[in-house]
Amino acid sequence: MKRLLILGILFLLLISEGVALDMLPASLLDGNIFFVSHWVFVFLVFLAIFYDREDTYFSVFYALLIGLLVDIAYTGILGVYMFSYALSVYIIHGLAKLLHANFVATMTLGVIGLIFAEAFIYFIFSMTGIAELVWQDYLINRLIPTVLANVLFLLVLYPFSAKWLVNLREQQLSGSRQF
Amino acid sequence: MKVFQRKRLFILLIGIIILVALIGYSMQDRKNETIAEQFVKDTVGWAQNLVHTPVEYVTGIFENIDDIKNTYEENKLLRQKIAEYKSLQYEVQELKEENDELRNTLDKTESIRDYNPVQATVISRSPERWIEQVTINKGSQDGVEENMAVITAEGMIGKVDAESKFTSTVKLLTGFDQFNRISATVSREDEDDIHGMIEGYDQESNHLLLRVVEESDFDLEEGELVLSSGMGGVFPAGLPIGEVKEVKPDEYGLTRTAFVEPVADMYDINNVIVVERQQPNSDTSSESEEEAS
Repeated sequence: MKRLLILGILFLLLISEGVALDMLPASLLDGNIFFVSHWVFVFLVFLAIFYDREDTYFSVFYALLIGLLVDIAYTGILGVYMFSYALSVYIIHGLAKLLHANFVATMTLGVIGLIFAEAFIYFIFSMTGIAELVWQDYLINRLIPTVLANVLFLLVLYPFSAKWLVNLREQQLSGSRQF
Repeated sequence: MKVFQRKRLFILLIGIIILVALIGYSMQDRKNETIAEQFVKDTVGWAQNLVHTPVEYVTGIFENIDDIKNTYEENKLLRQKIAEYKSLQYEVQELKEENDELRNTLDKTESIRDYNPVQATVISRSPERWIEQVTINKGSQDGVEENMAVITAEGMIGKVDAESKFTSTVKLLTGFDQFNRISATVSREDEDDIHGMIEGYDQESNHLLLRVVEESDFDLEEGELVLSSGMGGVFPAGLPIGEVKEVKPDEYGLTRTAFVEPVADMYDINNVIVVERQQPNSDTSSESEEEAS
């Protein structure tokens, strides 16, 4: 039952991403600077840092699943988010072993993960010919605003989720060594 | 340890292969989306509707308060406008009646201007900004089909990209490319209309590109209104698309490209109308290929 709770939260973040963008004032979206909300990904990073143990890969599985949902619901091109999210979360999962799970480490890993995910998505989209933007413009107009906007979300989410996820790990993953 | 490394690399390679296969599958020209995709979209859309309605209600209250502040000024202005409209309305009515009469005498009752409207509300916008796409809360159950034009009160905003049972996704004009052309026209009062094609959206200048197909003696002027011409066979005629901002000759100097600014605001869309063109019974099937793909 508790497992479903995490999936439920991810799904809620997924749907609110789209609704929030529809609700935002037009002046924020108009213009040259673009930001993409990766709320789902931010939560996946939390999962990788606080929920997963060294030898469990729940966050990567969740990333595969929810990434596919993002693809279906928002882009219509399957696999892009699925692959980018899963690979970046996997990298974060690997890096999280090296660092102590505190606030600064979470921030650093969050930023690194966001850069990875965005870069993968940009790379795939530019390969398929959908994104037509030279990388210098991309860096300044898209990547940096996106990372900043999502780090903001990470700051909001941190106080609520970090402790809670650690507790959840203690409850759910303490005994079993299956995954 | 070495075995472990190799296994990881193996998984990564398989992942990339699956990715390429999936992208290839979804980029090809699919007629309909799979049932699984439609199901996911409907579920997400249903949940978004649940979230959207109360949020919309709350933001609506704030907007209303804002509106009340300006009511007096607006009222004055609107009264003036109404006075002007009354005479215009009378004129339009007369013209309509005359048009109907003339059509009747010609035995030609169908027009490419006719359409059936389907009212819909935007429930979400794709967070991925490479893809200019919004989701609306009407689907094939309500008669929405692929390639129908979508308009707001101001003008055209896009076309239906894919429909599922209860929701559908709309591709906005800002995401149009050379595969989504609209045949357009600039109407002139006393000479021949200028025809052209909207050939895509220029991300750098934020304008639609209108290539003038038919050369005419008079150049396009700034501020002229571009309408859909209905010649593509999918969209009805007379939907406002945008205003001409600038005209440039192309690299060979043979045709001219006009930069058109969409009249509808692409970033502030709430209520839209999906426009189903009333298909005349005879020989349009050959034309309809043009805009379809």
